Amino acid sequence: MRFARYMGYRLVTALPVIFGIIVLNFLLIHLAPGDAASVLAGESGAATPEYMDALRHKFGLDQSLGMQFLTYLSNMAHFNLGYSYRNDADVSGLILERLGPTSLLMLTAFGTAVVLGIILGLVAATGRNSWRDNIISLVSLVAYATPGFWLGLMMIVIFSIGLGWLPTSGFDTVGAGHEGWAEVKDVARHLVMPAVSLALFYLALYARLMRASVLEQTGMDYVTTARAKGQTERRIMTGHVLRNALLPIVTIAGVQAGNLIGGSIVVETVFGWPGIGTLAFNALQSRDLNLLLAIFFMSACLIVVINLAVDVIYVMLDPRMEI
Amino acid sequence: MVHDPRLNKISRRTALALPLGLVASSSTIFNNLAKADQPVRGGTMVMIVQPEPSTLAHYAVTAGNIPPIATQIYEGLVTYDWDQNPQPNLATSWEIAPDGKSITFKLREGVVFHNGKPFTSADVQFSFMEILKKYHPIAPLLLAELTGVDTPDEKTAVLLLANPAPYLMKGLAGRDLPIMCKSVFEGTQILQNPSANKPIGTGPFKFGQWDRGQFVRLDRNEKYWKPGLPYLDHIIARFIPDAATRSAALETGEAHFAGYSAVNYADLARMKTNPTLDTTMKGYEMTPALSVLELNAKHAPLDKKEVRQAIAYAIDRNVILRDVMYGYGKPATGPLSSLFKTVGFYTDDVHKYDVPDRLDIANRLLDGAGLPRGANGMRFGMHLEVNSFGEQWLRQAEYLKQALAIVGIDLTLRSEDTATWLRRVYTEYDYDINEPFLSQGVDPVYGLNKQYLASQIRKGVTFVNDSFYANPEFDGILNEAMREQDHDKRAVLYKKAQQILAEDCPLVWLIDVQYVSVFNRKLHDHTTGPLGTQQAFERAWLET
Repeated sequence: MRFARYMGYRLVTALPVIFGIIVLNFLLIHLAPGDAASVLAGESGAATPEYMDALRHKFGLDQSLGMQFLTYLSNMAHFNLGYSYRNDADVSGLILERLGPTSLLMLTAFGTAVVLGIILGLVAATGRNSWRDNIISLVSLVAYATPGFWLGLMMIVIFSIGLGWLPTSGFDTVGAGHEGWAEVKDVARHLVMPAVSLALFYLALYARLMRASVLEQTGMDYVTTARAKGQTERRIMTGHVLRNALLPIVTIAGVQAGNLIGGSIVVETVFGWPGIGTLAFNALQSRDLNLLLAIFFMSACLIVVINLAVDVIYVMLDPRMEI
Repeated sequence: MVHDPRLNKISRRTALALPLGLVASSSTIFNNLAKADQPVRGGTMVMIVQPEPSTLAHYAVTAGNIPPIATQIYEGLVTYDWDQNPQPNLATSWEIAPDGKSITFKLREGVVFHNGKPFTSADVQFSFMEILKKYHPIAPLLLAELTGVDTPDEKTAVLLLANPAPYLMKGLAGRDLPIMCKSVFEGTQILQNPSANKPIGTGPFKFGQWDRGQFVRLDRNEKYWKPGLPYLDHIIARFIPDAATRSAALETGEAHFAGYSAVNYADLARMKTNPTLDTTMKGYEMTPALSVLELNAKHAPLDKKEVRQAIAYAIDRNVILRDVMYGYGKPATGPLSSLFKTVGFYTDDVHKYDVPDRLDIANRLLDGAGLPRGANGMRFGMHLEVNSFGEQWLRQAEYLKQALAIVGIDLTLRSEDTATWLRRVYTEYDYDINEPFLSQGVDPVYGLNKQYLASQIRKGVTFVNDSFYANPEFDGILNEAMREQDHDKRAVLYKKAQQILAEDCPLVWLIDVQYVSVFNRKLHDHTTGPLGTQQAFERAWLET
């Protein structure tokens, strides 16, 4: 009961935050010079003033800023994300199309990074200064310092061009007509390289963070106490240290999970992955405001939800905290 | 009668070009790889299109990445042979009236749109008057004289013109003036029509599916009017944003074709060493383009002809060609692309800027203009607006800064994103020197009229006369050439026009651009005419 009331309270207080974000996004976007009509006409090579006026009228750009804002708010109130004139398509459809591939890539990469990072960090910390620790620390340092796009291109050169094991790019083999398991396998083959090049950076980060965190916790008084009680090292590690050491990981992961919906422009570009990152980038380049605002809006909502989830996970890990 | 010998020859010709005849001749002209090999039915061709189009509304947007897909679906009244003479397509024959004020097209029997509707003169009428004339971005140039379309019967369409428009016969391919289905658009808001991204035409391929961010799939049109064609079952247009990955997709055989310089010039040398790949520069004969510098004549000292000429002298076009374009292209000699040589409109008999003592001349001109060097060796400073459409333009800008510094002009480079750049240059005119890339269309009318006529100084319109060039004598020549029906007389007028421009130097012409296609050797008959990638791949086939 108290939990439900707390959740309700948090969600209601999130509404003004999201409204504020909408207003701010709208105003900031209109500060950018140039508009969708001029970009579209620019790509067309030549256009008449009448053509450009017609475009501006169609896009609603001939109305005052206040009027445009009211239209936008009224659309949002009706859960209508608007129409992308540049793409001749509904904004919600455009985003939904990309949501699946983006989530697949980001969750795979992020999930792998967090789980493996925690394990590797733990392994390194428990064998401090041993060969395991040295190898893990060295590898994570290299992975942390390697730019994702370079790693991606090198993997293409080795695994696609050189060995011919994996496809260079895309979400699946277009026109192959795979179904069922064949399709899953096909997508997985396409997923490997983008996921690895994205995961490696996060993996290194979490491994290093976890190692430091575990080492810090093992020096605490409660560990000495547990040892004095005669608990085994394994029990101390899993029962006491791990829980406490995870708190910083959850904090950082919570912050970074907010980036999930934004996708990764670099990896999407290199591997031709149909993600939201490139969609947002192109929308910004072409001043496709409806689309851009919708993506901003969705990230804002996601971040609010993730913050809430992080707070709940805290409580589960550390009973001293209360809702 | 028609005086133009080229058009004359064609207007008497009726539907001679049987599809099979075309297949044979094109194979021998271009694709010597195929030799005795027989075309194979079936297969899926993957082509790379870069960047992904934002829309497939080919009739309302003329961005260069739309035609490779759209021309598989939409066809034009005519197509063109290698000499750029019109050939029968949706129209089987045509007759230009002696006064040049009407063109009568006989339309092909038995053509159906992808939605099953028969193709008639009503579709031609609707496409020209209700869609193209109203919404096509270059209609104000191409269709300015078009007043109406008469449809005496289902298979005859007569384009009515206020004045002769000899250039119109060059722009009737599916790339430039596509024919749409009337019943799809009638009674709807044209620009919001659902077929914008699910196009319906008469072409050899039907629209299948568009997964944004990934690909467009086109399917074989079983009812295509050319018997036995197309050979391919599917065409997939893939979108891969990263240039290195595009090259890799060709090298692994995942993609078969990349036209329109979708592969970086820098990668071409490596591509050529790959035994499965080949390159061609054919198929761009009707896609002339120049890279130029626009000089804002409202900003002193660019108002002085000597200063503009000095800039033209100061630049070594061969350096740009070698270091920026990797040797693809030619130094531009004047305002028209040398591709117009084929139709007799290009001349290099103009004021020449690539001369051995060009730096001395440039310095002398600047001294004479009252612009001595200051203490730091510089005469004056200017901003250069860097073209935002790709990395190569920044490299070109970096060279220009060095080249102009030699004659004492201090360039500051300004890089902005596309929207900001276009607004600064074409709406606010807040620029000194701009570095655009100009498509010149299929007739000098497009490239010259919009860029240099005084009437084309139009605030807020992109890629028109923003250098404020205004020369009544020149305008007179261009307007006369636009309506002159005699081909040779037109050629004389355009020669004069090029000479005047080269002398006045409102722009500095840099490189005559050459696009390159990369293709897998298993793919045959992909480039069968001067429109190249921008016409249908109905005769393309894949070796199995």
